[in-house]
Amino acid sequence: MSQEFDDNHTPNNDTTESVSEPVEHVDKGKRTFLKLGVAGAGVAAATAGGAFIAHKLEGTPMDDIVPPDGIAKDFKPMDQRNLILTFAGSEALNKKHPERKELFNKVLKKENPDHPEFDFRKDYKAMRTRPIRDEPGYTQLDKALQMSTMSTWKYVSHNEGNGQPGDGILNWDQSSVAKQKYKFDSKNEATLAIKSAARIYGAQACGIARFDRRFVYEPMYDMAKEETLSWDKDVPFEPKSVIVMLWEMDYHCIATAPAWTADATVAEAYTRQATGAAQMAQFLKGLGHHAIGAGNDMANSVAYGVLAGLGEGARNGHLIAPEVGCRVRISKVFTDFDFFDYAQPRDFGVKSFCEHCKRCATSCPSKAISFDDKPSLYPTYSDNKEDTWNNLSGLYKFHSDAKKCFMFWTQNGSGCAACIAACPYNKPDFWHHRFIDAQNVIAPGWVHSIMREMDIVFGYGNVADPEKVKKFWKRGSKV
Amino acid sequence: MMDLTWYLLGVLTGISALMLRYLAARMQLTLVTWGGLLAGIGALLFCIAWAVGAYLEGVPRAAAMGLLMFVLGGIVILTVTARLIAKQNRDQQGGAS
Repeated sequence: MSQEFDDNHTPNNDTTESVSEPVEHVDKGKRTFLKLGVAGAGVAAATAGGAFIAHKLEGTPMDDIVPPDGIAKDFKPMDQRNLILTFAGSEALNKKHPERKELFNKVLKKENPDHPEFDFRKDYKAMRTRPIRDEPGYTQLDKALQMSTMSTWKYVSHNEGNGQPGDGILNWDQSSVAKQKYKFDSKNEATLAIKSAARIYGAQACGIARFDRRFVYEPMYDMAKEETLSWDKDVPFEPKSVIVMLWEMDYHCIATAPAWTADATVAEAYTRQATGAAQMAQFLKGLGHHAIGAGNDMANSVAYGVLAGLGEGARNGHLIAPEVGCRVRISKVFTDFDFFDYAQPRDFGVKSFCEHCKRCATSCPSKAISFDDKPSLYPTYSDNKEDTWNNLSGLYKFHSDAKKCFMFWTQNGSGCAACIAACPYNKPDFWHHRFIDAQNVIAPGWVHSIMREMDIVFGYGNVADPEKVKKFWKRGSKV
Repeated sequence: MMDLTWYLLGVLTGISALMLRYLAARMQLTLVTWGGLLAGIGALLFCIAWAVGAYLEGVPRAAAMGLLMFVLGGIVILTVTARLIAKQNRDQQGGAS
């Protein structure tokens, strides 16, 4: 009976009709309200989640570039004479420290008794004289490309790559400083003007940090004159701010690493890095302030990139910046102008990702990159302090053995960049990579390990792959 | 090319919305089945965008892997949801007869 009533909606009597209709109406209203509530909550949750991810993608501001206990009590600014490229580029330093070569060769022989003798200075000089061969990435075509970009870099400031201060267009001349100082109405206006100028020069990103003596090279070293330079005595003014600019390298060219082909985009970015820094320094001089442009010289570029809020230090020793990863070169402009909205170091989630990924370490042809699970204050590849002279010791980071990395360069006949090509953060600007970036900033560590595996499965980040070289040459001008 | 893809995805999203409306008018859909349909269709649309993006950036393997993983995921979700909808509607009809 009740079944009939339900199906036909036919009331048995007047009383039932008068009671059941309002009840059904109320139930429908409740259901609609509930559905709208659930939909509203869903939209609110999605909006809140989106806002949270957007906030995380911009980076969480930090007080310093390392945790509070991330700098050792005995930490000192790096002596530039201990930079591997400066050391290898200097005749006098090699003569002064024969024990460095001796010890390094001992380490190499211990790992492989047949390892040929290595000489920092001689092998570096012979680096780009390796003969061309019939192998993708090492042919006359690749050599010609490599040397074409090298030629312009050499013309503007080649030796800044080795850390030479004041080299070429990055000279320290202050004679063109305008007598009248341009007045900005606000710090924000000044900051935006600097960043707009950086964009005109072609920088991928620009940030402004306070001058921080901890991360300069002290003393600096002039390889041409074989003498040290001091920040207090030789720099023609007292720096207060550092403008940091990033210069993107070509994705498909870097993908050919460690072939000579990849060296072309490295040298090309170095050229832009030097010209951009010189242009920015000249801009500041035109505004009436002292300024010096720098590439690899004067201070630790990665530390200043982090201080300027542009990225985070990675396992491979590079700066990882949002959207381009470590596929960037870094230039710095030191100035006494200090009317800026300074940037803060930011946490983009890179450290957590690097702890789980290790893709750069497994891809490194020279096994120079640390496999440690966590960063450390001091290098862990050797207990012997005499063997770790090339490291910025006392800073909480992953410490690579730059000597092994450098030795591979000399054998390879060009810089390497395999750790840049292999890094999962190194992706071209396509929506799906930005989507993965967004989920990486909120995902826990075990997801990062999965992401690393997915990166391999999906075909990204393979190094020493001749197909990548062929692909690069077939790509033409397509982005 | 990517711009054209976004346009076509917009058209496909509109068609999907109309299909869902048609389905909702004829079948009883619960929160679970709504979720299944949205997730399944979302996975298929996501997969098209992923595959085109990966192909354009010059990594066809990533496009192929994306098709494999996301299309498969979408089809599984939609199949399970379709069976669930059919079962629920059958139960309702059975209960009503």
